[in-house]
Amino acid sequence: MVSISTRVGNFLLENPTILASGILDETPGSIERALREGAGGAVTKSIGIEERKGYETPVISIIETGLLNAVGLSNPGIDAFVSEFRSFREKGKTIVSIFGKDADEFSKLAKMVEGIGFDKVELNLSCPHVKGVGSEVGQDPDAVEEIIDEIRRKTNLQIWAKLTPNVTDIIPIAKAAEKSDAIVLINTVRAIGVNIASRKFTLSNVIGGYSGPGIRPIALRAVYDVYRETGKDIVGVGGITKWQDAVEFLLLGARAVEIGTGIMYRDLGIFREVASGIENYLEEEGFSNLEDIVGAALR
Amino acid sequence: MMKNERILEVRKVGEDVFTIFFDSDFKAKPGQFLMIWVPGGREVPMSLSSVSGTFSITFRVFGETTRSLASLKKGDRIFFRGPYGNSYPEPEGRAAYVAGGTGLASLLSMMDLYEGDTFVGARTKKELFLIREGFRVATDDGSQGRKGSVVDLFTEEMENYNSIYVCGPEQMEKALMDRMINFKGKVYFSLERLMKCGIGICDSCTINGFRVCRDGPVIELRELKKLDEFGVARRSESGKIQFLIPADR
Repeated sequence: MVSISTRVGNFLLENPTILASGILDETPGSIERALREGAGGAVTKSIGIEERKGYETPVISIIETGLLNAVGLSNPGIDAFVSEFRSFREKGKTIVSIFGKDADEFSKLAKMVEGIGFDKVELNLSCPHVKGVGSEVGQDPDAVEEIIDEIRRKTNLQIWAKLTPNVTDIIPIAKAAEKSDAIVLINTVRAIGVNIASRKFTLSNVIGGYSGPGIRPIALRAVYDVYRETGKDIVGVGGITKWQDAVEFLLLGARAVEIGTGIMYRDLGIFREVASGIENYLEEEGFSNLEDIVGAALR
Repeated sequence: MMKNERILEVRKVGEDVFTIFFDSDFKAKPGQFLMIWVPGGREVPMSLSSVSGTFSITFRVFGETTRSLASLKKGDRIFFRGPYGNSYPEPEGRAAYVAGGTGLASLLSMMDLYEGDTFVGARTKKELFLIREGFRVATDDGSQGRKGSVVDLFTEEMENYNSIYVCGPEQMEKALMDRMINFKGKVYFSLERLMKCGIGICDSCTINGFRVCRDGPVIELRELKKLDEFGVARRSESGKIQFLIPADR
C-alpha cells in the first residue's frame, strides 16, 4: 500500500493537493466543495482589515500559457469574514490567507482568525498588484521577519509564508521567513497584457499577476533554491495542471502543492486527478511514501 | 482568449434596448453567455440572444458599459470571450418561456429553435421589447397586457406545460420557484449574479458552492431548491454576503 499523506509544519494532509488562495475560496460553499472534490486542504482568499471591492473588470485575461489577473484583493474585511466563517465546519483543513501593511495589521488579523477556531494562516507577502501590501511588504526581509515574530508571539497559529518571485534573490526573503512553519512558493509573476486590435491594456489595473503553466519553471526554481538553502517545509505552487507537474515540485523539495489556475483547465476534478496520479507514480516507481520523493532530485 | 468580430448591425429593439449582430466561427448553444469587453472600459457577461446563423446579444442600457456598446456601429469591432456556461436542455412535451426584465434576451435563443408559449413581465409597457404576436404579457401598472406580475399570470397556466424555461430577476425567479412546490415537469432557470471571471475561478457568482458562470447559468428546479442562499442573499463586489429584502415581484 502506497501512502500519499503528507505533513506541512504540524498539519497532516490526506493528500498533498491544496486549493490555492484567490481561486474559488471566498465563500464557505466553494471551499467545502473543493474539499469534497478531493483537495487535501484549502487556503482562503486573502482577508484584510477593511472590506475591499477590488478592481473593476476585466480582472482576468486568458493567454496561451496561462492567466493574467488583477482582482485587487477583493475581500469582505476581517469582521465580515469572522461572522460568516465562525460556524464553518472545515476549519481543520483550511488555512486562512491574510494580508496587511505591517506587523500590527497581520497580528490583529491572525488573532481574530485564531479566535474563531482556525489554527493555520498563510501570510500573503506576495500579491504583485496592490499598493502598500502583498509583495511591497514581502520584498523587505526585516518586515517579513517582524510580521512572523509578532504573530508567533501573539498566537499559537501555524504560520505559512507565501513569498513573491518578483525579487532579484528570493533567498534573503526565505531566510527572513525561517521562523515560519512553512514557506509557500510562489505567488504570481508581475506581468502585463495588451490587446492588439484595440491597442488597450487587457486588465483594468494594467499590471497584473501571471499564473498557469508558463510560470511552472519559475516556481520550480524558487522551490529548489529555498529547499537547498533552508531545508524548510515547502508548499509548491505555480502552473500545476496535471500530476506530473506536482511530482516535479515534490522532487525539488515541496511537501505539498497548491493548485489554483489549474481549475480553469481541468475544473475541480483536478485534485483527485493529481492525487491519484501521484499515488500511481509512487507505486510504479517502487516508493511506499510520498515523503520518499520529497527533494529526491537533490540527493 | 479575447476575440473580436466586425459588427453586422446594431438594432434598437425597444426603449433603451439594443441588439448587436455579428458572425463568428465559434459554436454556441441556447442559454450560453459571452464576456463582452469594452476596450478601455469594463467586461460584462451577456447571454447570447441568438445562436443559430448570426450571433447576437440583446441588452438594456443602464450604465457606461452598455451605453458604449449601444453606440457601436456596423463595421466596428465587438470584443468578447466565450461562449461560457451550460445551456438550456431540449424541451420534452409542451414548452413555455417565462421572462422578466431583460431575461427575454436569453430565452430568444431557445425560441428560435423550439416552439413554445411565451410569458413576459415588466414594470411598464415602455420596458417591453421584442414582443411577438401571441406573447402573453403582464405589466405591474397594467399599461400593456394583464395588470400584475408575470409570476401570477404564468402560475395559472403552469400545469399545461411539461418543460418550462425561466429567465429574469432573481426575486421573480424565486417567487416562481416557490409556486412550483408540487410541479411535476422540468423547469430550467437561468440565473444571474455579479460575475467577474466568467470561467469558474473567482468565486464572485457562487451560490452555496454552485458557480453560476461554470456550473450554470442554467439550473433545474430540483437542484435550485437546494441552494438556500438563492433569493435570500447575494455577494457584493468584495465578496461580502448581503441579505435581500424579500419582494413579491
